[in-house]
Amino acid sequence: MNSKIDLNMSRRNFLKLSGAAALAAAGGSGNLLGVQGASAAVKPGDFESKFGVCDMCFNKCSMIARVRDGIVEKLDPNPKFHKSRGMLCARGNAGIRQLYDPDRLKTPLLRKGARGEGKWQRLTWDQALDHAAEQLNRIAEKYSRCGVVFMAGADMQSLFVHRFAEAFGSYNALSHESMCLIAGTRGFLDTFGEVPIPDMRYTKYVVMCGANRFEALVTPDSMDLMTAMKEGTKLVVMDPRYTKTAAMADEYHAIRPHTDMALMLAFAHVLVFEGLYDKDFVQNRCFGLEQLKEHVRDNTPEWAEKETEIPAGDIRRIARELAAAAPRAMIYPGRRSSNYTDSSQIRRAFAIVNALLGNWDRPGGLTAARKVGLKSPHIEAPFYENNPEDRIDAGVAKLMFDEEGSFKIARDAVIAQKPYPVKGFFTYKTNPAQTAANREKTLKMYEQLDFALSMDITMSDTAWLADLVLPSQCALERTDPCSAQQGSSACACVVMRDPVVSKPMFESKSALWVVSELAKRMDLGEYFDFTVDGFREEQLDGLPGALEALQGDGVYYNPSKLYGVYDGRIFKTKSHKIELYNERYKELGVDPMPVYHKPKEVPPLKFRMVVGRSAVVTQSSSQNNSLLQEFVSDNNLWIHPDPAGKLGIAHGDRVRVDSPVGTQKLEANVTYKTRPDTVYMLTGFGVLSQDLRNLKGKGACIAEVIEDEMDTLTGNMAMHETIVTVRKEAA
Amino acid sequence: MEKKLAMVIDSFACIDCKACQAACKEANKIPVGKWRNWIKSPDVEAAARKGGRMLFQPGNCMQCEKPTCVEACPTGATYKDASDGTVKINRELCIGCGQCLPACPYGARYRHPELRVADKCDFCAERRAAGLEPACVSTCPNKARVFGDLNDSRSDVRQLLKKGNFVQVVNKESNTDPHIYYLGDPGVKDWPVKAQMPSAFAFWKNMAGPAMKAFVGLSAVGVGAMLVKQFIMPNDAPEDKDKGGDEHE
Amino acid sequence: MMRPKIKIKEGMNMSNRMIKRHDQGAILIHWFNAICWFFLLATGLGLIENPALQPLGQWWPNLMKDIFGGGAILLKAHWIVGIVWAGVWLLFLLVGIVRYTLPFLKQIMTYTIPRDIQWMVKKNMQMTMGYKMMAKLVKPFGWDGKIPDQGFYNAGQKAAAAGMISGAVVIVITGVIMLISKVYLNPDQTPLVQWSITIHYIAAAVTFGILLIHIYMAAISREERPAFISMFTGEVPEEYARHHHKLWYEKVES
Repeated sequence: MNSKIDLNMSRRNFLKLSGAAALAAAGGSGNLLGVQGASAAVKPGDFESKFGVCDMCFNKCSMIARVRDGIVEKLDPNPKFHKSRGMLCARGNAGIRQLYDPDRLKTPLLRKGARGEGKWQRLTWDQALDHAAEQLNRIAEKYSRCGVVFMAGADMQSLFVHRFAEAFGSYNALSHESMCLIAGTRGFLDTFGEVPIPDMRYTKYVVMCGANRFEALVTPDSMDLMTAMKEGTKLVVMDPRYTKTAAMADEYHAIRPHTDMALMLAFAHVLVFEGLYDKDFVQNRCFGLEQLKEHVRDNTPEWAEKETEIPAGDIRRIARELAAAAPRAMIYPGRRSSNYTDSSQIRRAFAIVNALLGNWDRPGGLTAARKVGLKSPHIEAPFYENNPEDRIDAGVAKLMFDEEGSFKIARDAVIAQKPYPVKGFFTYKTNPAQTAANREKTLKMYEQLDFALSMDITMSDTAWLADLVLPSQCALERTDPCSAQQGSSACACVVMRDPVVSKPMFESKSALWVVSELAKRMDLGEYFDFTVDGFREEQLDGLPGALEALQGDGVYYNPSKLYGVYDGRIFKTKSHKIELYNERYKELGVDPMPVYHKPKEVPPLKFRMVVGRSAVVTQSSSQNNSLLQEFVSDNNLWIHPDPAGKLGIAHGDRVRVDSPVGTQKLEANVTYKTRPDTVYMLTGFGVLSQDLRNLKGKGACIAEVIEDEMDTLTGNMAMHETIVTVRKEAA
Repeated sequence: MEKKLAMVIDSFACIDCKACQAACKEANKIPVGKWRNWIKSPDVEAAARKGGRMLFQPGNCMQCEKPTCVEACPTGATYKDASDGTVKINRELCIGCGQCLPACPYGARYRHPELRVADKCDFCAERRAAGLEPACVSTCPNKARVFGDLNDSRSDVRQLLKKGNFVQVVNKESNTDPHIYYLGDPGVKDWPVKAQMPSAFAFWKNMAGPAMKAFVGLSAVGVGAMLVKQFIMPNDAPEDKDKGGDEHE
Repeated sequence: MMRPKIKIKEGMNMSNRMIKRHDQGAILIHWFNAICWFFLLATGLGLIENPALQPLGQWWPNLMKDIFGGGAILLKAHWIVGIVWAGVWLLFLLVGIVRYTLPFLKQIMTYTIPRDIQWMVKKNMQMTMGYKMMAKLVKPFGWDGKIPDQGFYNAGQKAAAAGMISGAVVIVITGVIMLISKVYLNPDQTPLVQWSITIHYIAAAVTFGILLIHIYMAAISREERPAFISMFTGEVPEEYARHHHKLWYEKVES
């Protein structure tokens, strides 16, 4: 930050000074030339400090914006925000560059040329909203209200988009969760009756399969894990890639992809047959031990070694070490489970081993959700007569979560226009055109649409393909309702977003404003007859002092019970216990205990493509950010030196990646950081949009080569099932 | 009491997430491609091959006790400030000659492309004046950096160093006694380079300086001789006055 | 205009006839130059903070920085006077190109080789050791003890002028480079700046060395006193002209 009095010899100053020497001398204040010394220290009153909530990823870290003369100069962590342990990562710091991104959408835009051509006409907001209302009503009349699919990402205003969908009468509301974590949610929910939060701070032994906590930052897990490790906690990482997390681990194994379940079954085998499981706990609080025993009888470490390529001795030893450290030991639940067709069952296997360790509801184990106390105001959804029976993605995945849906199934339905026509697509803060596997299909889906509306901050690929693009406010400009956060031993808290600038950039608006205005035009105004402040009041009803805490500290803490929440309580399962064996699954014709299936064979000199994260960019939303570009400006294909050598590929060569669904070209990164049978590229490049100036023509889009397999139980996208070929591109 | 500002860094906790570099860049408006701080990485490929723990080493200007950059500055624009122990740059007095850049064993300095003066970490002087910590310190996810006054016995940095398990990362030939201390294993050890003095500076110091002293001295001696002669022989005149040439009073 | 008393000594030619040697412009530019140059020398030396480079010792930069209120202001003062000095000179040389610049250059660049070499050798010896000794020492060369006739400027003045002008040109060029370093130059051009600093110093030192002789000759040497006075009055006595710059005198008188 430059000092207020800036006397650096810029050309302007230089000319001023040389010409004004006489004047200056005449007006001197004791010093020759009457000038002040350099670098006058900034006085504390020079800038304002305002609480904000970061939106660069899903963590929603409370932060403090330093604002000078109405310009946001720096985003600092909020030292009082325990969930982040008072930190702000690289992306958080880059939030300013999102606010002032020259590529920001400035006005509503109506598509003029062909879809994806990039020809737009500026509209006023009135014109845009009138047009959108007209289009939505038209689809409602001609087809049905369910003929519009609504998809909103992880955002504090997404609930308003969902409310609008409800008011409008479409059941087809999707979240991004079906492209992320619902299989994991399923696996843990169907074991423990709720989705636990790991207590990283006080655990002593962590087995982390696939999760990459030191790059895919999760608060407080990523911070607490390192603190625990400084105190001696052991981290064992299984990952086909040598990620930063693997590099930080005490023990790392380059596990064969899609064999995590084998590993878990072997752990269960050792725990059960060596009597190392928490006998008391399992006896009293778990259901199905006998069935499990039978189930894992043959899943010895020796058997697992053949599947996982991890030595049997290590598997056995790790299982014993887990038991020794239990209950402060865990199989880390992880987050993104968009991997395999049996991801739900894989995560259930994780859950079962955790149950055997008896770490439920105790320090260093898996903790139950803590009471936050935030209320969720609902509307009485109107009933519409000519509406279909069900969602378009219903009836395919047996255990799909209706609140989240399945993007993969929905997309197939729209392409086929079955079970009924869908002609509208309303997206907010989500970018399936860049991130949904099998981009070819996404493009096909758009071909079926009459009206695609996208609310976004910059011209993402999803905005690029839309008919109507609406400029969205970013986190620093918005007034958002409260959001409850679970932080295990760090906290149970509420954050609330207020703007740190007095005026939003250009003509950007909030999602709430947009859906409220649409509602007014569509006779649905009664469902949006509130302000955010009023909404917040309802949310915070019953939490005295919460508003003051939010305004004074940037966060409200509910000091609710952390451990022992389940003392004297039943589990929300059929058996009222933790289910090692799930009867409900049996009734539904689903394997009641995870059954291992061999992974796809990867033919020689072919590769399995995997997905992964970086600590510096988020999914596909932050790659255009000029600050983050200085760290990650492009993606490349990770390929092991042995197959690369055989294919004649040198580091830096341009290569062509082919899969059954697409082709991409990018630079090869020949590295030992990946298995010989596995390749990888970072998400978020190879954009279609021509209005992301820092990304045009750079890198490749992983979604274009990945097939849209899905977890059969939940419809979670399965993105690690694709086998690709890699060839050197002729120069 | 004078301060001795310093940092204690725990490479064990660093995950190379770039938060400190991002925060520094924003807080100090550093131009594209330039950095006031860094994260030194060990050989990733070697680590990936044999497995094992990588240690990343965050760093910035070490505010050295014996700064070689100060030794290279002609105008004194860069100087060690005794009041807080940091090495400062007076942008007004800096003439942008860049002699200080290769003189830093850590490469901590760069020439600002717009301001055209030397620039480097100053432990966020403006933030400190406003009661804030240096940007890199507060933003770090794992609190790998601790900042404080070594002259204050109660400071965190003093407490951490009391345990005795720390090193300074230095170049053997140019040990500048840096104010950044690394707890335990710092990761990459032998990367600082010997301080280089640019040839123009060395030429002045070793050759031109003494030569000019000699030249001016010689001139002075000559003038001195003439002066002496003027007093000793006030009536010095050519033998044949009428044949022209010089004539005196 | 200053008009110092001229002592009339025995044996001096009683003709008080004065000949015009310098006009106003030349006089003004000369003193302007002197004042600027000493200011620049003082401030320039004051900017050398580095003890390895400072020829005088730290007391000088400390004193200068005290007087001016800090190094930044000292630097700006050096810049401003430097720019004014060079700028006024440039203006003078261009505007007066016919009247001053070209004639002056012609005068100081016209050498008559054997005669001027002889003058240099003999004069240096005479100034330090006296006529008698000089006549004795030059006998082996086959020279007599008579100092050869000189024009408007003698060989020594020509050489000094050449040296000081070259020095000034180098000082200005390197000074400008250092100045624009903060306005135009790129980081890969810093060796240019670094060498400019060193060469700026060398040129200043060389010029100063020559300056010492010039100051002695002009202001301290008794035989050149009329010349010193002429830098105020513009005139020299006829006798002085005839004896010290015979060839010029003869041209003027014709």
